[in-house]
Amino acid sequence: MNLDFSQIVPYIPFILEGIGATLKFVSVSILAGFILGTILAIFKITGFWPLKAIADVYTSIFRGTPLILQLMIIYLAIPQLTGYDISAFLSAVLAFGLNSAAYVSEIIRAGIMAVDKGQTEAAKALGVPYRSMMLNIILPQAFKNILPALMNEFITLTKESALVSTIGYLDLMRRAQIAGADLYRNFEPLFFAGVIYWVMVTILTLAGRYVERRMRQSD
Amino acid sequence: MIKADNITKVFGKNEVLKGISTTVGKGEVVTIIGPSGSGKSTFLRCLNLLEEPTSGQIYINDEEITSPRVNKMEIRKNIGMVFQHFHLFPHMTALENVMYAPQKVKGLSKKEAEQIGKNLLARVGMTDKEKAYPNRLSGGQKQRVAIARALAMEPEIMLFDEPTSALDPEMVKEVLDVMKGLTETGMTMVIVTHEMNFAKEVADKVLFLDDGVLLEETEPNTFFTNPSTERAQSFLEKVL
Repeated sequence: MNLDFSQIVPYIPFILEGIGATLKFVSVSILAGFILGTILAIFKITGFWPLKAIADVYTSIFRGTPLILQLMIIYLAIPQLTGYDISAFLSAVLAFGLNSAAYVSEIIRAGIMAVDKGQTEAAKALGVPYRSMMLNIILPQAFKNILPALMNEFITLTKESALVSTIGYLDLMRRAQIAGADLYRNFEPLFFAGVIYWVMVTILTLAGRYVERRMRQSD
Repeated sequence: MIKADNITKVFGKNEVLKGISTTVGKGEVVTIIGPSGSGKSTFLRCLNLLEEPTSGQIYINDEEITSPRVNKMEIRKNIGMVFQHFHLFPHMTALENVMYAPQKVKGLSKKEAEQIGKNLLARVGMTDKEKAYPNRLSGGQKQRVAIARALAMEPEIMLFDEPTSALDPEMVKEVLDVMKGLTETGMTMVIVTHEMNFAKEVADKVLFLDDGVLLEETEPNTFFTNPSTERAQSFLEKVL
Protein backbone atom coordinates (compact mmCIF):
# COMPACT_ATOMS: atom_id res chain seq x y z
CA MET A 1 0.00 0.00 0.00
CA ASN A 2 1.19 3.41 -0.93
CA LEU A 3 0.32 5.60 2.03
CA ASP A 4 2.31 8.50 3.36
CA PHE A 5 0.54 10.85 5.73
CA SER A 6 3.71 12.82 6.38
CA GLN A 7 3.34 14.45 2.97
CA ILE A 8 0.19 16.31 3.92
CA VAL A 9 1.79 17.89 6.98
CA PRO A 10 2.68 21.13 5.16
CA TYR A 11 -0.95 21.36 3.99
CA ILE A 12 -2.53 20.83 7.41
CA PRO A 13 -2.80 24.56 8.30
CA PHE A 14 -4.30 25.22 4.86
CA ILE A 15 -6.91 22.48 5.27
CA LEU A 16 -7.68 23.42 8.88
CA GLU A 17 -8.52 26.96 7.78
CA GLY A 18 -11.37 25.33 5.89
CA ILE A 19 -13.03 24.45 9.21
CA GLY A 20 -13.59 28.14 9.89
CA ALA A 21 -14.82 28.73 6.34
CA THR A 22 -17.25 25.82 6.56
CA LEU A 23 -18.50 26.66 10.06
CA LYS A 24 -19.01 30.30 9.11
CA PHE A 25 -21.46 29.68 6.31
CA VAL A 26 -23.04 26.60 7.91
CA SER A 27 -23.90 28.48 11.11
CA VAL A 28 -25.32 31.45 9.20
CA SER A 29 -27.31 29.08 6.99
CA ILE A 30 -28.69 27.13 9.96
CA LEU A 31 -29.77 30.32 11.68
CA ALA A 32 -31.37 31.75 8.52
CA GLY A 33 -33.07 28.44 7.76
CA PHE A 34 -34.39 28.14 11.29
CA ILE A 35 -35.87 31.65 11.43
CA LEU A 36 -37.39 31.46 7.95
CA GLY A 37 -38.56 27.89 8.65
CA THR A 38 -40.37 28.94 11.84
CA ILE A 39 -42.14 31.73 9.97
CA LEU A 40 -43.14 29.34 7.16
CA ALA A 41 -44.40 26.80 9.72
CA ILE A 42 -46.67 29.43 11.28
CA PHE A 43 -47.90 30.35 7.78
CA LYS A 44 -48.77 26.68 7.26
CA ILE A 45 -50.92 26.36 10.35
CA THR A 46 -52.82 29.63 10.01
CA GLY A 47 -56.29 29.38 8.64
CA PHE A 48 -55.45 32.16 6.13
CA TRP A 49 -55.06 30.32 2.81
CA PRO A 50 -52.82 32.73 0.83
CA LEU A 51 -50.10 32.43 3.49
CA LYS A 52 -50.49 28.69 3.59
CA ALA A 53 -50.29 28.53 -0.22
CA ILE A 54 -47.09 30.60 -0.30
CA ALA A 55 -45.47 28.37 2.31
CA ASP A 56 -46.60 25.17 0.59
CA VAL A 57 -45.35 26.21 -2.85
CA TYR A 58 -42.07 27.36 -1.35
CA THR A 59 -41.55 24.02 0.40
CA SER A 60 -42.52 22.08 -2.69
CA ILE A 61 -39.96 23.89 -4.87
CA PHE A 62 -37.04 23.73 -2.48
CA ARG A 63 -37.64 20.11 -1.53
CA GLY A 64 -38.45 19.06 -5.07
CA THR A 65 -35.23 20.14 -6.76
CA PRO A 66 -31.57 19.20 -6.10
CA LEU A 67 -29.67 21.43 -3.69
CA ILE A 68 -26.72 21.58 -6.04
CA LEU A 69 -29.00 22.92 -8.76
CA GLN A 70 -30.31 25.63 -6.43
CA LEU A 71 -26.72 26.51 -5.56
CA MET A 72 -25.71 26.73 -9.23
CA ILE A 73 -28.72 28.84 -10.12
CA ILE A 74 -27.92 31.31 -7.37
CA TYR A 75 -24.20 31.44 -8.06
CA LEU A 76 -24.17 31.29 -11.86
CA ALA A 77 -27.57 32.55 -12.96
CA ILE A 78 -27.96 35.60 -10.70
CA PRO A 79 -25.01 37.40 -12.35
CA GLN A 80 -26.47 36.55 -15.75
CA LEU A 81 -29.95 37.80 -14.85
CA THR A 82 -29.10 40.84 -12.75
CA GLY A 83 -25.50 41.66 -13.49
CA TYR A 84 -24.78 41.47 -9.76
CA ASP A 85 -21.56 39.56 -9.17
CA ILE A 86 -22.64 37.44 -6.25
CA SER A 87 -19.92 36.07 -3.98
CA ALA A 88 -19.48 32.36 -3.34
CA PHE A 89 -20.15 32.93 0.36
CA LEU A 90 -23.44 34.75 -0.17
CA SER A 91 -24.54 32.17 -2.74
CA ALA A 92 -23.79 29.38 -0.31
CA VAL A 93 -25.66 31.03 2.56
CA LEU A 94 -28.66 31.78 0.34
CA ALA A 95 -28.87 28.31 -1.17
CA PHE A 96 -28.39 26.42 2.08
CA GLY A 97 -30.49 28.80 4.17
CA LEU A 98 -33.44 28.83 1.78
CA ASN A 99 -33.23 25.08 1.25
CA SER A 100 -32.99 24.30 4.95
CA ALA A 101 -35.97 26.55 5.71
CA ALA A 102 -38.18 24.28 3.61
CA TYR A 103 -37.22 21.19 5.63
CA VAL A 104 -37.24 23.01 8.98
CA SER A 105 -40.72 24.40 8.32
CA GLU A 106 -42.06 20.89 7.80
CA ILE A 107 -40.40 19.66 10.98
CA ILE A 108 -41.77 22.54 13.06
CA ARG A 109 -45.24 22.26 11.53
CA ALA A 110 -45.35 18.58 12.43
CA GLY A 111 -44.12 19.44 15.92
CA ILE A 112 -46.87 21.99 16.47
CA MET A 113 -49.53 19.61 15.16
CA ALA A 114 -48.27 16.89 17.50
CA VAL A 115 -48.87 18.97 20.63
CA ASP A 116 -52.01 17.65 22.32
CA LYS A 117 -55.09 19.59 21.27
CA GLY A 118 -56.05 19.70 24.94
CA GLN A 119 -53.20 22.15 25.55
CA THR A 120 -54.79 24.66 23.19
CA GLU A 121 -58.18 24.12 24.82
CA ALA A 122 -56.82 24.53 28.32
CA ALA A 123 -55.11 27.78 27.31
CA LYS A 124 -58.24 29.05 25.56
CA ALA A 125 -60.43 28.15 28.51
CA LEU A 126 -58.20 30.29 30.72
CA GLY A 127 -58.56 33.23 28.33
CA VAL A 128 -54.91 33.16 27.20
CA PRO A 129 -54.38 35.21 24.00
CA TYR A 130 -53.16 33.40 20.83
CA ARG A 131 -49.67 34.92 20.88
CA SER A 132 -48.94 34.00 24.50
CA MET A 133 -50.43 30.57 23.94
CA MET A 134 -48.11 29.92 20.99
CA LEU A 135 -45.03 31.38 22.68
CA ASN A 136 -45.43 29.98 26.20
CA ILE A 137 -47.48 26.81 25.79
CA ILE A 138 -47.37 25.32 22.28
CA LEU A 139 -43.92 26.16 20.84
CA PRO A 140 -41.90 25.05 23.89
CA GLN A 141 -43.60 21.67 23.76
CA ALA A 142 -43.26 21.46 19.98
CA PHE A 143 -39.53 22.26 20.05
CA LYS A 144 -38.91 19.68 22.69
CA ASN A 145 -40.55 17.01 20.55
CA ILE A 146 -38.76 17.94 17.35
CA LEU A 147 -35.29 18.54 18.74
CA PRO A 148 -33.93 15.21 17.43
CA ALA A 149 -35.35 15.91 13.96
CA LEU A 150 -33.94 19.44 13.98
CA MET A 151 -30.51 18.20 15.03
CA ASN A 152 -30.67 15.71 12.19
CA GLU A 153 -31.40 18.53 9.75
CA PHE A 154 -28.46 20.58 11.08
CA ILE A 155 -26.16 17.57 10.77
CA THR A 156 -27.29 16.93 7.20
CA LEU A 157 -26.69 20.56 6.37
CA THR A 158 -23.19 20.43 7.85
CA LYS A 159 -22.27 17.42 5.72
CA GLU A 160 -23.97 18.65 2.55
CA SER A 161 -22.06 21.89 2.95
CA ALA A 162 -19.23 20.17 1.06
CA LEU A 163 -21.26 20.88 -2.09
CA VAL A 164 -20.04 24.47 -2.03
CA SER A 165 -16.64 23.20 -3.14
CA THR A 166 -18.24 23.05 -6.61
CA ILE A 167 -18.55 26.84 -6.78
CA GLY A 168 -15.00 27.43 -5.66
CA TYR A 169 -15.75 28.40 -2.06
CA LEU A 170 -12.64 27.49 -0.08
CA ASP A 171 -14.29 25.24 2.48
CA LEU A 172 -12.85 22.14 4.07
CA MET A 173 -13.69 19.91 1.11
CA ARG A 174 -12.29 22.25 -1.51
CA ARG A 175 -9.05 22.67 0.42
CA ALA A 176 -8.61 18.91 0.70
CA GLN A 177 -9.07 18.62 -3.04
CA ILE A 178 -6.52 21.35 -3.72
CA ALA A 179 -4.00 19.68 -1.43
CA GLY A 180 -4.66 16.39 -3.20
CA ALA A 181 -4.08 17.95 -6.61
CA ASP A 182 -0.83 19.54 -5.49
CA LEU A 183 0.50 16.32 -4.00
CA TYR A 184 -0.80 13.90 -6.60
CA ARG A 185 -2.08 11.91 -3.63
CA ASN A 186 -5.75 12.14 -2.82
CA PHE A 187 -6.40 9.61 -0.11
CA GLU A 188 -4.52 11.33 2.71
CA PRO A 189 -6.03 14.84 2.43
CA LEU A 190 -9.54 13.45 1.78
CA PHE A 191 -9.21 11.10 4.74
CA PHE A 192 -8.02 13.98 6.88
CA ALA A 193 -11.00 16.12 5.82
CA GLY A 194 -13.31 13.18 6.48
CA VAL A 195 -12.06 12.90 10.05
CA ILE A 196 -12.68 16.61 10.60
CA TYR A 197 -16.25 16.37 9.25
CA TRP A 198 -16.85 13.40 11.51
CA VAL A 199 -15.57 15.29 14.55
CA MET A 200 -17.75 18.32 13.75
CA VAL A 201 -20.86 16.18 13.33
CA THR A 202 -20.09 14.26 16.53
CA ILE A 203 -19.74 17.50 18.49
CA LEU A 204 -23.07 18.67 17.06
CA THR A 205 -24.68 15.36 18.00
CA LEU A 206 -23.37 15.53 21.56
CA ALA A 207 -24.50 19.14 21.91
CA GLY A 208 -27.97 18.09 20.71
CA ARG A 209 -28.13 15.30 23.27
CA TYR A 210 -27.10 17.68 26.01
CA VAL A 211 -29.86 20.16 25.13
CA GLU A 212 -32.34 17.29 24.89
CA ARG A 213 -31.40 16.08 28.37
CA ARG A 214 -31.79 19.57 29.76
CA MET A 215 -35.25 19.88 28.22
CA ARG A 216 -36.34 16.48 29.49
CA GLN A 217 -36.06 17.59 33.08
CA SER A 218 -39.81 17.97 33.21
CA ASP A 219 -40.29 14.32 32.15
CA MET B 1 -76.76 33.67 35.61
CA ILE B 2 -76.45 31.17 32.71
CA LYS B 3 -79.29 30.90 30.27
CA ALA B 4 -79.20 28.61 27.24
CA ASP B 5 -81.90 29.09 24.67
CA ASN B 6 -82.59 26.40 22.09
CA ILE B 7 -78.95 25.40 21.56
CA THR B 8 -78.20 23.14 18.61
CA LYS B 9 -74.86 21.82 17.45
CA VAL B 10 -74.25 20.00 14.19
CA PHE B 11 -70.97 18.28 13.29
CA GLY B 12 -71.15 17.54 9.58
CA LYS B 13 -74.34 15.51 9.25
CA ASN B 14 -74.42 14.61 12.90
CA GLU B 15 -76.84 16.65 15.01
CA VAL B 16 -75.33 16.37 18.47
CA LEU B 17 -77.53 18.89 20.28
CA LYS B 18 -81.14 19.23 19.23
CA GLY B 19 -82.36 22.39 20.87
CA ILE B 20 -81.39 22.56 24.53
CA SER B 21 -82.79 25.25 26.80
CA THR B 22 -82.04 25.59 30.48
CA THR B 23 -80.96 28.03 33.15
CA VAL B 24 -78.45 27.89 35.93
CA GLY B 25 -78.86 30.34 38.80
CA LYS B 26 -76.11 32.07 40.70
CA GLY B 27 -74.49 29.67 43.18
CA GLU B 28 -76.39 26.74 41.75
CA VAL B 29 -74.75 23.34 41.24
CA VAL B 30 -76.07 21.54 38.20
CA THR B 31 -74.99 18.07 37.12
CA ILE B 32 -75.48 16.78 33.60
CA ILE B 33 -76.04 13.05 33.28
CA GLY B 34 -76.68 10.81 30.30
CA PRO B 35 -75.30 7.98 28.20
CA SER B 36 -72.11 8.35 26.13
CA GLY B 37 -72.68 10.32 22.99
CA SER B 38 -75.74 12.06 24.38
CA GLY B 39 -74.16 15.50 23.89
CA LYS B 40 -73.38 16.29 27.56
CA SER B 41 -69.80 17.36 26.96
CA THR B 42 -70.64 19.22 23.78
CA PHE B 43 -73.29 21.22 25.63
CA LEU B 44 -70.85 22.02 28.44
CA ARG B 45 -68.22 23.10 25.91
CA CYS B 46 -70.73 25.44 24.30
CA LEU B 47 -71.01 27.31 27.59
CA ASN B 48 -67.47 28.69 27.31
CA LEU B 49 -67.50 28.69 23.51
CA LEU B 50 -64.92 25.94 23.07
CA GLU B 51 -67.66 24.75 20.73
CA GLU B 52 -69.74 27.30 18.93
CA PRO B 53 -73.41 26.45 18.90
CA THR B 54 -74.83 26.03 15.40
CA SER B 55 -77.89 27.96 16.50
CA GLY B 56 -79.42 29.30 19.70
CA GLN B 57 -78.27 31.82 22.25
CA ILE B 58 -76.35 31.60 25.49
CA TYR B 59 -76.52 34.41 28.02
CA ILE B 60 -74.20 34.86 30.96
CA ASN B 61 -75.23 37.55 33.41
CA ASP B 62 -77.66 38.76 30.72
CA GLU B 63 -74.89 39.23 28.17
CA GLU B 64 -75.33 37.22 25.00
CA ILE B 65 -72.00 35.40 24.57
CA THR B 66 -73.07 33.75 21.32
CA SER B 67 -73.23 37.15 19.65
CA PRO B 68 -70.51 37.52 16.98
CA ARG B 69 -69.44 40.85 18.49
CA VAL B 70 -68.42 39.27 21.74
CA ASN B 71 -64.74 38.81 22.64
CA LYS B 72 -64.45 35.12 23.53
CA MET B 73 -61.28 35.65 25.54
CA GLU B 74 -63.08 38.10 27.83
CA ILE B 75 -65.96 35.68 28.39
CA ARG B 76 -63.64 32.79 29.18
CA LYS B 77 -61.78 34.71 31.87
CA ASN B 78 -64.92 34.47 33.95
CA ILE B 79 -65.53 30.75 33.36
CA GLY B 80 -63.14 28.13 34.66
CA MET B 81 -63.00 24.71 33.06
CA VAL B 82 -61.74 21.35 34.28
CA PHE B 83 -61.15 18.63 31.70
CA GLN B 84 -61.39 14.85 31.84
CA HIS B 85 -57.73 14.53 30.85
CA PHE B 86 -56.48 17.46 32.99
CA HIS B 87 -54.47 19.15 30.23
CA LEU B 88 -51.93 20.56 32.66
CA PHE B 89 -49.03 22.32 30.96
CA PRO B 90 -46.36 19.58 31.11
CA HIS B 91 -43.36 21.91 30.96
CA MET B 92 -44.45 23.86 34.04
CA THR B 93 -44.46 22.85 37.70
CA ALA B 94 -47.73 22.57 39.60
CA LEU B 95 -47.28 26.08 40.98
CA GLU B 96 -46.31 27.53 37.58
CA ASN B 97 -49.42 25.96 36.06
CA VAL B 98 -51.59 27.81 38.55
CA MET B 99 -49.61 31.07 38.29
CA TYR B 100 -49.55 31.26 34.49
CA ALA B 101 -53.00 32.65 33.66
CA PRO B 102 -53.16 35.28 36.43
CA GLN B 103 -49.86 36.66 35.16
CA LYS B 104 -50.45 36.44 31.40
CA VAL B 105 -54.15 37.14 31.28
CA LYS B 106 -54.76 39.39 34.27
CA GLY B 107 -51.32 40.98 34.25
CA LEU B 108 -50.65 40.31 37.92
CA SER B 109 -47.08 40.48 39.16
CA LYS B 110 -45.17 37.28 39.74
CA LYS B 111 -45.39 37.85 43.48
CA GLU B 112 -49.16 38.31 43.47
CA ALA B 113 -49.64 35.28 41.23
CA GLU B 114 -47.42 33.22 43.47
CA GLN B 115 -49.50 34.18 46.49
CA ILE B 116 -52.70 33.15 44.71
CA GLY B 117 -51.06 29.95 43.46
CA LYS B 118 -49.82 28.91 46.88
CA ASN B 119 -53.17 29.61 48.53
CA LEU B 120 -55.05 27.59 45.93
CA LEU B 121 -52.64 24.67 46.01
CA ALA B 122 -53.06 24.63 49.78
CA ARG B 123 -56.82 24.62 49.32
CA VAL B 124 -56.68 21.52 47.10
CA GLY B 125 -54.14 19.86 49.42
CA MET B 126 -51.18 20.06 47.03
CA THR B 127 -48.78 22.30 48.92
CA ASP B 128 -46.08 19.63 49.14
CA LYS B 129 -46.14 19.15 45.35
CA GLU B 130 -45.76 22.80 44.34
CA LYS B 131 -42.48 22.20 42.55
CA ALA B 132 -43.43 18.89 40.95
CA TYR B 133 -43.93 18.61 37.21
CA PRO B 134 -47.25 17.07 36.11
CA ASN B 135 -45.73 13.76 35.06
CA ARG B 136 -44.63 13.22 38.67
CA LEU B 137 -48.23 13.52 39.89
CA SER B 138 -50.96 10.91 40.12
CA GLY B 139 -54.17 11.42 38.19
CA GLY B 140 -56.00 12.66 41.26
CA GLN B 141 -53.22 15.09 42.06
CA LYS B 142 -53.16 16.37 38.48
CA GLN B 143 -56.87 17.00 38.57
CA ARG B 144 -56.62 18.87 41.86
CA VAL B 145 -53.90 21.10 40.36
CA ALA B 146 -56.11 21.60 37.30
CA ILE B 147 -58.96 22.74 39.55
CA ALA B 148 -56.60 25.17 41.30
CA ARG B 149 -55.42 26.45 37.91
CA ALA B 150 -58.98 27.18 36.84
CA LEU B 151 -59.81 28.85 40.17
CA ALA B 152 -56.76 31.10 39.88
CA MET B 153 -58.64 33.30 37.42
CA GLU B 154 -61.30 33.80 40.12
CA PRO B 155 -64.12 32.82 37.78
CA GLU B 156 -67.77 33.16 38.68
CA ILE B 157 -68.61 29.88 36.99
CA MET B 158 -66.80 26.53 36.96
CA LEU B 159 -67.41 23.88 34.31
CA PHE B 160 -66.36 20.28 34.92
CA ASP B 161 -66.17 17.86 31.99
CA GLU B 162 -66.17 14.35 33.48
CA PRO B 163 -63.45 15.32 35.96
CA THR B 164 -63.12 11.84 37.49
CA SER B 165 -63.66 9.62 34.44
CA ALA B 166 -59.95 9.23 33.67
CA LEU B 167 -58.95 8.49 37.26
CA ASP B 168 -58.11 5.25 38.99
CA PRO B 169 -60.95 4.38 41.34
CA GLU B 170 -59.01 5.11 44.52
CA MET B 171 -58.35 8.67 43.37
CA VAL B 172 -61.91 9.64 42.61
CA LYS B 173 -62.74 10.61 46.16
CA GLU B 174 -59.94 13.15 46.62
CA VAL B 175 -61.14 15.05 43.56
CA LEU B 176 -64.80 14.85 44.49
CA ASP B 177 -63.94 16.10 47.98
CA VAL B 178 -62.28 19.18 46.51
CA MET B 179 -65.33 19.77 44.33
CA LYS B 180 -67.65 19.28 47.26
CA GLY B 181 -65.66 21.90 49.16
CA LEU B 182 -66.12 24.23 46.22
CA THR B 183 -69.91 23.82 46.23
CA GLU B 184 -69.92 25.11 49.80
CA THR B 185 -68.30 28.38 48.74
CA GLY B 186 -71.31 29.32 46.64
CA MET B 187 -69.56 28.78 43.30
CA THR B 188 -71.84 28.33 40.30
CA MET B 189 -70.95 24.92 38.92
CA VAL B 190 -71.98 22.83 35.93
CA ILE B 191 -70.69 19.27 36.13
CA VAL B 192 -70.85 16.52 33.55
CA THR B 193 -70.36 13.33 35.50
CA HIS B 194 -70.95 9.60 35.75
CA GLU B 195 -70.67 9.71 39.56
CA MET B 196 -74.32 9.23 40.44
CA ASN B 197 -73.87 9.33 44.20
CA PHE B 198 -71.94 12.55 43.94
CA ALA B 199 -74.60 14.04 41.68
CA LYS B 200 -77.29 13.05 44.14
CA GLU B 201 -75.39 14.52 47.04
CA VAL B 202 -74.25 17.90 45.73
CA ALA B 203 -76.54 18.86 42.89
CA ASP B 204 -79.31 21.41 43.17
CA LYS B 205 -80.55 20.23 39.82
CA VAL B 206 -79.95 17.29 37.49
CA LEU B 207 -80.13 17.52 33.71
CA PHE B 208 -80.62 14.24 31.88
CA LEU B 209 -79.56 14.30 28.24
CA ASP B 210 -80.17 11.59 25.68
CA ASP B 211 -79.35 11.80 21.98
CA GLY B 212 -78.99 15.56 22.06
CA VAL B 213 -82.30 16.18 23.82
CA LEU B 214 -82.80 17.43 27.36
CA LEU B 215 -85.23 14.82 28.69
CA GLU B 216 -85.35 15.71 32.37
CA GLU B 217 -84.54 18.73 34.45
CA THR B 218 -85.36 18.12 38.08
CA GLU B 219 -83.97 18.18 41.58
CA PRO B 220 -81.85 15.10 42.32
CA ASN B 221 -84.18 13.27 44.73
CA THR B 222 -86.99 13.16 42.23
CA PHE B 223 -84.66 12.24 39.40
CA PHE B 224 -82.98 9.34 41.17
CA THR B 225 -86.08 7.91 42.84
CA ASN B 226 -88.80 8.72 40.41
CA PRO B 227 -87.61 9.75 36.93
CA SER B 228 -90.46 10.75 34.68
CA THR B 229 -89.16 9.37 31.38
CA GLU B 230 -88.71 5.73 30.49
CA ARG B 231 -85.31 6.49 28.99
CA ALA B 232 -84.05 7.88 32.30
CA GLN B 233 -85.51 4.92 34.16
CA SER B 234 -83.69 2.38 32.01
CA PHE B 235 -80.48 4.43 32.18
CA LEU B 236 -80.62 4.56 35.97
CA GLU B 237 -81.36 0.84 36.21
CA LYS B 238 -78.14 0.17 34.36
CA VAL B 239 -75.87 2.53 36.25
CA LEU B 240 -77.14 2.37 39.83
